[in-house]
Amino acid sequence: MGTIIETNNLRAYYITKAYGVERTVKAVDDITLRIQEGEVYGIAGESGCGKSTLLRVLLNAYEPPLTVVGGEVIYHLDGERVDAADMTEEHQRDLRWRTISYIPQGSMHVLNPVRRIRDSFHDFISAHRDVSKSESFELTANYLRDLGLPEKVMASYPHQLSGGMRQRVTIALATILWPKLIFADEPTTALDVVVQRGVIQMLKDVQQKEGSTLILITHDIGVHANLADRIAILYAGKLVEEAATQTILENPRHPYTRFLIESLPSLDSREERLSIPGRPPALDRPPSGCRFHERCPLAMDICKTIEPALIEIAPKHFTACHVVEEELSHASAV
Amino acid sequence: MNLLRTYILPRLLQWVMVVFVGITATFLIPRLSPVNPVDEMLARMTAFQSMDPDSFAAMRESTIALFGLDKSPIEQYITYWSRLLQGDLGPSFGNFPRPVSDIIATALPWTIGLLGTATAISWTSGVLLGALAGYYHNRRWAQVIERFVVVAYPIPYLIIAFVLILIFAAWLQWFPLVGGARGDPGFNWEYISSLLYFGFLPALSIVIGATAFRFIMAKSLTTTEIASDYVQYAELAAVPKRKIMLYYVARNTMLPQVTDLALSLGAIFEGALITEVVFAYPGIGFITYNAIYNGDYNVIMGVTLLSIVGIATASLLIDLLYPVFDPRVRLR
Ligand SMILES: Nc1ncnc2c1ncn2[C@@H]1O[C@H](COP(=O)(O)OP(=O)(O)OP(=O)(O)O)[C@@H](O)[C@H]1O
Ligand code: SF4
Ligand SMILES: [Mg+2]
Repeated sequence: MGTIIETNNLRAYYITKAYGVERTVKAVDDITLRIQEGEVYGIAGESGCGKSTLLRVLLNAYEPPLTVVGGEVIYHLDGERVDAADMTEEHQRDLRWRTISYIPQGSMHVLNPVRRIRDSFHDFISAHRDVSKSESFELTANYLRDLGLPEKVMASYPHQLSGGMRQRVTIALATILWPKLIFADEPTTALDVVVQRGVIQMLKDVQQKEGSTLILITHDIGVHANLADRIAILYAGKLVEEAATQTILENPRHPYTRFLIESLPSLDSREERLSIPGRPPALDRPPSGCRFHERCPLAMDICKTIEPALIEIAPKHFTACHVVEEELSHASAV
Repeated sequence: MNLLRTYILPRLLQWVMVVFVGITATFLIPRLSPVNPVDEMLARMTAFQSMDPDSFAAMRESTIALFGLDKSPIEQYITYWSRLLQGDLGPSFGNFPRPVSDIIATALPWTIGLLGTATAISWTSGVLLGALAGYYHNRRWAQVIERFVVVAYPIPYLIIAFVLILIFAAWLQWFPLVGGARGDPGFNWEYISSLLYFGFLPALSIVIGATAFRFIMAKSLTTTEIASDYVQYAELAAVPKRKIMLYYVARNTMLPQVTDLALSLGAIFEGALITEVVFAYPGIGFITYNAIYNGDYNVIMGVTLLSIVGIATASLLIDLLYPVFDPRVRLR
């Protein structure tokens, strides 16, 4: 299984100009990652760290003020290497839903309120396949049945469904054409715990059926623990750690990741955990050096001036931290 | 069933209430006003001829009796309703003794024809053009249309009417200056074409402003709509633009427009006062103008009642139709 999508030194900024004052929000800053075909790649981080921004750029669905100012996004589809920046509008529309699909953040309102569910499905299916209405309906009915959704949702309007059901229908709508590459932005946020579990199971089913690649964004590490093969931790527009899920959960190295993992409520003790001190920095004027230094208990002088590089500290375990790097060089020196 | 109880019945009840209160108010207002319509009428009748005081008093008595104003208010109120329910709005003072109901019945088709057509044209074209221009806001033609509308919208109605008259009636002489139609009423081409011929300028003068209003409303609704999650999502999924425009954008912007259409339709029964006066068009607005000018109380009352019932009924009809357009009302 090869790489299906990669970014190289990707920089995507929101560049706005109001009353002659230019403001640049460095929401994705120098991110390099490689996602393997068939894996579930989780992206985690606090609110505002640039998760959705990264996703929109990966999906190649963004418009000003969001601008890619550097780096590239490369798809590897059917043995072909495609630079997202060079794709024609037509090629792009062609890939959507058939090959690349998207489950949006807050997908409560993505269904047309005045259209029956089955008609929405027909709109989305017929945009990519030459099918009659009855063929779309049949395809939809079969798919919903496979996923264990009640058939009566077909004739319903969105407002007649519960939040959880609407989310499931949206996931079905996004994956009805068996896309290879599925992006999901906070698919379980705003759902209660029981419903969340059902949605997580459904995502798992969808992904495993065809061995699709799922890029899953959520700030909820618990959801990642359930679904992801690998997790990337984003902090203030930077990739600070990336490793297999188990490694991230059991042996996180970056101080920020440690905070994230430690702040998880564990199953046996329900008490409130400590949250991370301080607040995430504003991305229009990010801190110098390591962007985490203002909140990091281990920060050294060098952290304030020099940005740590993302290095492989163990096989397939990457992290960007001066302290970790130093420990590593000590360990290898001994 | 549920819809009947929670939606339809309350609206029928509301209609009854509005009409009842409105009609009662039209009964009370002239009776509470310091001007006595009988005196006013007699004053006008005797303005150009003198009359001896005794016969004047006798005439006053008999007129008061004729209108039933010598009875107790309760009795008057009951008589008022029973006459209304028989369609009797009393005689016109200005064209005594022609019944008011007859005057209104003659004028109403003109107004309904003129305003009904103008409203239908302006609503449809405004809603569609606004939605198109809003959806394809980057296109050149959309910007041209919008520029046009933005200039046309604030022009006062009278100026539009006079400019049209100057160009088409006075200068080019394509259309007549005043009047409703020519020839004997009947279902023949000659009469119908003369209806269109006479109605064109008054209708156009209304359509310009009304379309601009609809367009601006439709465009701003569309701007909100295209930013909605479901439109953005359908675009991302590469659903064809035509389909998005029709079933996602226009379909949703229509909802508030349908409600608003009720008000425009109801307002038809008030007539178009300025238009009908400017073009001497023989509709409700024209008779209202004359009635006000002549102090023709019963006609003014009749038109007021008509517009109360008209607006209430139009809103009722639209309310009853609304569930057809919005499933969120139909299926709860
Ligand atoms: N349209 C915009 N213009 C300017 N700045 C923006 C815009 N959209 C987002 N940002 C900024 O970009 C940064 C990253 O936003 P993004 O939505 O990617 O965060 P996120 O990680 O998805 O957060 P959340 O968990 O809240 O969804 C934030 O600081 C945000 O304020
Ligand atoms: S580089 Fe320095 S500030 Fe940043 S996480 Fe490591 S120790 Fe903390
Ligand atoms: Mg987000």
